[in-house]
Amino acid sequence: MLRMRRTVAMAAVAALAFSGFVGAQEASILIGASIPLTGGVAMFGQHSRWGAELAIAEANAKGGVLGRKLEMDFQDNRCNPAEAVKSVTQMLAEKKYVAIFDGLCSSAALAIMPLVERAGIPFVVANASATSIAERSGVGGNKWTFKVNPTDGSMLDALVTWLDKDGKAGSIAFLGEDTDFGRAGSSGLEAALKKRNRKLATGDFFQKGTADFTPVFTKIKAQKPGLLALYAVDADFQNAIRQWYSMGGGVPLTGRVLVDQVPKEIMESGFLDGTTSVQPYDPSVDTPGNRAFVEAFKKLHNVPPILVSFESYEATKVLIDAIRRAGSANPAAIRDALATTKLPSMLGTTIEFDDHNLAHNNAIILTIKGGKVLVLGMSKT
Amino acid sequence: MDLSFCLQLLLNGIVIGVIYALVAMGLSLIFGVLEIVNFAHGEFYMLGAMLAYFLTMNARLGYWPTILVVTAVAVGLGCVLYEALLGSLQGEGFERSILLTLGLSMVLQNGAVFVFTTTPKMMQTRYSYSNVSLGDLRVPVMRLLALGLGLLAFGALYLILYRTRVGKAMRGVAQNRDAALMVGIDPRAVSRLAVAIGVGLSGLAGAALAPVYAVHPLMGFSFVFKAFAIIIIGGLGNVAGAAIAAVGLGVLESFVGGFFPLVMVDALAFTSMIAILLLRPQGLFGRGVRV
Repeated sequence: MLRMRRTVAMAAVAALAFSGFVGAQEASILIGASIPLTGGVAMFGQHSRWGAELAIAEANAKGGVLGRKLEMDFQDNRCNPAEAVKSVTQMLAEKKYVAIFDGLCSSAALAIMPLVERAGIPFVVANASATSIAERSGVGGNKWTFKVNPTDGSMLDALVTWLDKDGKAGSIAFLGEDTDFGRAGSSGLEAALKKRNRKLATGDFFQKGTADFTPVFTKIKAQKPGLLALYAVDADFQNAIRQWYSMGGGVPLTGRVLVDQVPKEIMESGFLDGTTSVQPYDPSVDTPGNRAFVEAFKKLHNVPPILVSFESYEATKVLIDAIRRAGSANPAAIRDALATTKLPSMLGTTIEFDDHNLAHNNAIILTIKGGKVLVLGMSKT
Repeated sequence: MDLSFCLQLLLNGIVIGVIYALVAMGLSLIFGVLEIVNFAHGEFYMLGAMLAYFLTMNARLGYWPTILVVTAVAVGLGCVLYEALLGSLQGEGFERSILLTLGLSMVLQNGAVFVFTTTPKMMQTRYSYSNVSLGDLRVPVMRLLALGLGLLAFGALYLILYRTRVGKAMRGVAQNRDAALMVGIDPRAVSRLAVAIGVGLSGLAGAALAPVYAVHPLMGFSFVFKAFAIIIIGGLGNVAGAAIAAVGLGVLESFVGGFFPLVMVDALAFTSMIAILLLRPQGLFGRGVRV
């Protein structure tokens, strides 16, 4: 009898302990992310992931949100819209994610947008820059997509304002990759020039993965434009910049030139002096928030952040802030909270969404002088 | 029209054409002797470039020793490829060879992503940023070296195929495997040599182009599909035809890129291939006799 009582008591204690354990270990708030972890722009995907993970780690170190830990589940989309659709469809079917994050490539983000709208789950765009994402969001139709980084259109408008001030916007040739990213760059530049009664001198596109740029560079050199706007990333950018150098250049570059990825030898030679580039970010921006971010990022990964690391870091903070203010992990409540975001940015502005669910952060205007990258200034997008 | 502009386009076209030829000749040789379309050919080009990068940037080996080591390793890899995989396919059906080489291509490409990551790498040599100028014309030294290596490889392959007994044996096996066996030629040894030379040429192309283009695991993909179009245009299995078609395509691409939108360049290889298949199905230089 005594033995039986002892067994019942132990079972009761165990049951109580177990129920207490379950209560304390409430499931994490899960965010789904679809970014390129393999393929041609995997390096950008890796940096995007590192930026988002840093923001999540910082939030979790402070106790998480709503008393729960945050977690981000990364799936690979190879920068391919079909892969993006596959990965996000799978995540949405599981019904355990409170929001979808990024896409990185514009084509991938555009493919994800109808899926999140049908599922009724917020989609926070951190890196994809195509202007059409914002055009189709908010009053444009898709109430669930929020774009934290500036559009190509708004960044190029800021750049052309700067170039026009110096009388350099008269003759700009465009060369970009034949993707939504490159096409958005071309149309953004055309729109910015049109506002000032100017036209693009010439425009040309190349397939992603193009190794040889010598024919098009020979053509551009013969056309002698005042500036060449270059829209290329990753291996394409490396090939283009090296071949441009070996062909003697002769036309200053502009557009979204990835100044932090120019080979050291080319940069230090002064060959690119006179380049004027617009970027959503540069690690040298001198604000307390950015200094802390660069230091924390370097400590973790031994490399400085690049623009996608910053964008993902700040966009994740926007999403975390919305979850906190929503007071619940309900997707509709998070969407409503996102719409009323007012969060200070590391670039000195306040992140707020307009009626197209687009935030208007500062764009950084960079130049190269004496083989060194200098921040010319910041311009609101 | 500016004459120097046209000359620059011509020069660019010849250089890129010889670069195409380096990859296409190996592919054509393997098809000529074994009747196998090697879908992993671009991956051997990529591995050659990766190895060249690590030998120069990490092991601090010079440019010429790197070229020799990479070519020798690629030749060895070709022997291993034949003995381990392709040798067992002889006469076993075309579909199996496609599945096998396609699978190998995926394994090599994703293996390279796993080991080297997808971050593009730039191989630096003493001449990486040097050019040869003649008036308005400019050619980077590294491209000239790649051009020289391509011409040298073509000359050497031509001599092997048409001036040596082993070359005669290769042509014999390509024309009639059974007849070659009856006159005492060992088709297995000849096939092994053909794969070794083919993969060796691909590795050489990778090493020669590593200082010219960004080195990354996906670099072989675009080249190999263009090489397929080239060997069909030149006549399947005809090595000299592949080389001539490659240079022709390079020059054509350069002029089209110079005068028309660049996106038209990518369609050129395949529209030319379709046109040739419609007008001359055996290819420009195909005579029904391979190699």
